[in-house]
Amino acid sequence: MNMAAHECLLQLHDEHFKLEDYQSGVPRWCTGCGDSAILAAVQRLCRDEGLRPEKTVFVSGIGCSSRFPHYMKTYGFHGIHGRALPIAEGVKMARPDLHVFVNTGDGDCCSIGAAHWIHAIRYNMNITMFLHDNQIYGLTKKQASPTSPRGTKSNTTPRGSYLEALNPLTVTLGVQNVSFVAQAADWIPETLFDIVKAAYHHKGLSFVRIIQRCPEWLPDAFDPWMHDPKRVLMLTHENGIKLSSGLAGVYTNQEQHDPSNMNRAREIASCIDPIPVGILYRNEEVPRYEDLRRSKTLRTTEYIRAGLESEFDKVTVWPEESQEQQAA
Amino acid sequence: MRRAGAMPANGPYTPNQQSESIMHSDFQAQVAFHLTGTRRSDGLEAVEGLDQRPALLAPYRDLTSLRYDFPVVLLRKPAEGAFARSLSGIIDDLLKEIAKVQDADRIGKHLLRLEQEIRTLAARGESGALSALWDKAAAALVKGPNDLIKDSLGRARALLQADGEVLDCGKALPERLIAHAWRGLQQRKAEAFRAEVDRLSLKLSDILKADFVRSPAGLSAENLRASVGEDQGKDIDFEMMSRLLTKVAPKVALPESRRRRLQWLLSALESQRFLPRPGAGGGEPLGFSFDNCEAALDAYRERLPKAIELAKAIAIARLETQGEYDELKHDPLFAEFGARGLDAEELAAFPDYFVCLNAANLQEPENARLMEILSAGLPVKVLVQTDDLREDSPVGNGHFSIGLRSAQLTGMAMGQNDIYVLQSSASNLVQYSGRVGSALNYSGAALFSVFSGAAAKTDLPPYLIAAAAMESRAFPAFAYDPSAGADWASRFSIADNPQAEADWPVASLAYEDEDHQRASEEIAFTLVDFLACDRRFDAHFARVPRAKWNGSLVSVSECLASQSKGMPDRIPSVLVVDADNVLQRNIVDGQLIREARRCRDNWHSLQELGGIHNSHAQALLAREKKAWEEIAQREAESRAKAAKPVAEAQTSAPASATQAAEAAPAPAEPERDPDMAYIETARCSTCNECTLLNNKMFAYNDNQQAYIKDPDAGTFRQMVEAAESCQVSVIHPGKPRNPNEPGLEELIKRAEPFQ
Repeated sequence: MNMAAHECLLQLHDEHFKLEDYQSGVPRWCTGCGDSAILAAVQRLCRDEGLRPEKTVFVSGIGCSSRFPHYMKTYGFHGIHGRALPIAEGVKMARPDLHVFVNTGDGDCCSIGAAHWIHAIRYNMNITMFLHDNQIYGLTKKQASPTSPRGTKSNTTPRGSYLEALNPLTVTLGVQNVSFVAQAADWIPETLFDIVKAAYHHKGLSFVRIIQRCPEWLPDAFDPWMHDPKRVLMLTHENGIKLSSGLAGVYTNQEQHDPSNMNRAREIASCIDPIPVGILYRNEEVPRYEDLRRSKTLRTTEYIRAGLESEFDKVTVWPEESQEQQAA
Repeated sequence: MRRAGAMPANGPYTPNQQSESIMHSDFQAQVAFHLTGTRRSDGLEAVEGLDQRPALLAPYRDLTSLRYDFPVVLLRKPAEGAFARSLSGIIDDLLKEIAKVQDADRIGKHLLRLEQEIRTLAARGESGALSALWDKAAAALVKGPNDLIKDSLGRARALLQADGEVLDCGKALPERLIAHAWRGLQQRKAEAFRAEVDRLSLKLSDILKADFVRSPAGLSAENLRASVGEDQGKDIDFEMMSRLLTKVAPKVALPESRRRRLQWLLSALESQRFLPRPGAGGGEPLGFSFDNCEAALDAYRERLPKAIELAKAIAIARLETQGEYDELKHDPLFAEFGARGLDAEELAAFPDYFVCLNAANLQEPENARLMEILSAGLPVKVLVQTDDLREDSPVGNGHFSIGLRSAQLTGMAMGQNDIYVLQSSASNLVQYSGRVGSALNYSGAALFSVFSGAAAKTDLPPYLIAAAAMESRAFPAFAYDPSAGADWASRFSIADNPQAEADWPVASLAYEDEDHQRASEEIAFTLVDFLACDRRFDAHFARVPRAKWNGSLVSVSECLASQSKGMPDRIPSVLVVDADNVLQRNIVDGQLIREARRCRDNWHSLQELGGIHNSHAQALLAREKKAWEEIAQREAESRAKAAKPVAEAQTSAPASATQAAEAAPAPAEPERDPDMAYIETARCSTCNECTLLNNKMFAYNDNQQAYIKDPDAGTFRQMVEAAESCQVSVIHPGKPRNPNEPGLEELIKRAEPFQ
């Protein structure tokens, strides 16, 4: 249906924001940090979509990535380690009108917060989640994280890490109710922005893993992929992302991948080299927890009072009754 | 079909062995009847009292034994958007369910008997809910307490979920069916509307309540005492509490203008009569169903100011509840609200107006009012029910026309371009229920033109009359949906008519010939066949006795297909059967043939609009074909003339064309001076390396991606260092700007990999 005339007029009167309106403070990330690219892409999204700062929330846990809310002039919640998702879910449940974003890192999400991550996927609330994956604990100066490749030398693994890295894409795709999974790389800002935008528009939990360079602690870790465009597999589709002609010329290793194809998505997700970039899976039909649980009943004073009364009545001791019982 | 009269073995049109002279006089009598409508000789018999019906309708003597669209059940709880279902559809669903249980065959058989019984009851005029008719029919079928039928029907009944009023096809059907669909839609609309109004009211009163709690009155000792309660409050000093709270409470009260606005909004929302909550006080809810256009129009006009106020209140309340109402910005905007009425989107939340009219009463000024109300762009749904297609001509003298009024009405409505027009026989309404739903959902006006078949003077049930009217193109079914697209091809459809490609639908008639052999023949069902159902047209027919059938008797469709000039050499006739199902042949007078021709021409116009045999399209196609043939011919000629040197030239020409084609799609690279430094901005990952090095030389654009702001704002050394430190290697340093810069030779070498 078209928009009513007064709605158009109201929208005309709406404020329009510039990118600077979303900027707050000078990021304390190291120069060359991939987080800056993510920040630029997200600020661009806010401006392009005209997200009102007072209706937008960024929630984070702990880590370099989790400093993100400080640099956004919106509402934010710098939470505790691994608990960004439950906080964000609470925010969304209480205020479904807000745009809720989550910024988390590979340590925050895949280690201490792994349980919340799994269940957030299952709950599928309408939240946009960015996993800043630099494969290392950076804020605490180089310890191996769950996504560090086997052999990563760090303060906790001086002889190189022993375990195979966890693959956040395959884990997410393996959880019931998954509805949006994408992967981006910070050094391809154009695609990063396209994916961030698609994730924002998805209704449900959109999981975006962003491969992010850490120039300080793993300076050359992604150089082979960054300097050889052939080692990036671009997933394109009319329902996914489309490459600009310039980008298509550089990244010639492309695959037409339909994001509704779960089986192929899982195959692609398992691929470590080349790195897949694009939307792996999307399904708008998965129900969202906030919709399933939203009560149609208006919470009037009378309704709340009746609910409380009935709860209190369960544990109330009536003096008269107890006297009668004693007498008996 | 049973055969009594003799029938020629090789079809009904073979001349009999009669003498020339008798034949001639018979033919003269037939021509005379055809021209004048009077039966002059003994060779022609009157058809009055013969209880004839068109031969194609012979198999449908007992409709109750057939499973078809009727009776229909007006569902109490619409399922999947369907507001009505045929009884047989509901029974079919039950049969599917029953197939899964034990004794499925037996239960199924009994259920079908029950269906027939219910159909018989409905045909007898019994009405009521399906559950009630089910019980009644079951009671009639069950013979004793141990009857297996009782068990079967009891088990089937347990599976029955749908219920609602059962209606047979007849005079009451169109209004009841469409009004039922309209009511269901309004109910859904009302629920959504009320939920929104209740939500807004609650939020608005919450704002006022929160303000009151913080006000001196809210913090007074009395109010505090009242909020704690008698028993618990005994030990609390409320005076002290009030003083304390008044002192510490923030002194921000709602501005007076906002409080007044909130109070006005609340009263506007709560006093609205458009879709009030059931049982809410403040007067009767407004009615939206009318039996004349004048009243509907008056009601709309009278209610418009209230509707504007309510729409405005809802729009403001939405802003208020989100804390977004800004007086400076929004006051002037809402002062103008509704100055030009409400647009379709704003009206969509309000109930639609429903007007039910009968074509027989549609005289001036009601007719003019109808067009007025339809063309005003209001959300009004009008049903015009036609019971009788025969209309007497105002010139009198026995002249009449068939279906003229509905054709005029729908034609005028479609001429308005923005009215949803739906025409259908009552017999087709169940099939058309999807379209009925979309017409009711349409945001503008909708016109339903429905023929009930109830006023014909006949023994046939109204269902057959209605179906025959649609079959014979007397009352074709079509839909004009302005929301479906911008052109006639997407808006208009006649596809639901039987054999829409043909002039008349053709069906096969099987009969027993005089040698008791099965014979069959293809027969077109024309307007004349439809009129042969109605006793009022008996005078226009004359029965030709079996012995006088000859080759000059042709079918009506054949007669209409050929234009004859001068004396008629063939007489149009229709095949009918009498009460004993004996095939008979009636000749038809000229008046009915003229009506049939007009009916067919009207049908041709509809066909053209519906894209069938469209004359414009055919003319265009012919022109294009001719042009294409000419081009093909010219090419063939030029090829024939072509000499060798020309052929050589031709081979080189396509080659250059291909080169050009290949060159075209190459991405247009901007012309760059290779000596100038530049950044591939789109690939910049905002890592701050270059901007920290020299923020006068390097800067970010609107998207936070770097570009070279001023190449002279720094040294070539800085440029090279920036290129080296760039994480994604998108900085190209170019050539030094200052030839006197120290160490240039080494820098140029370092810059090389980035050029």
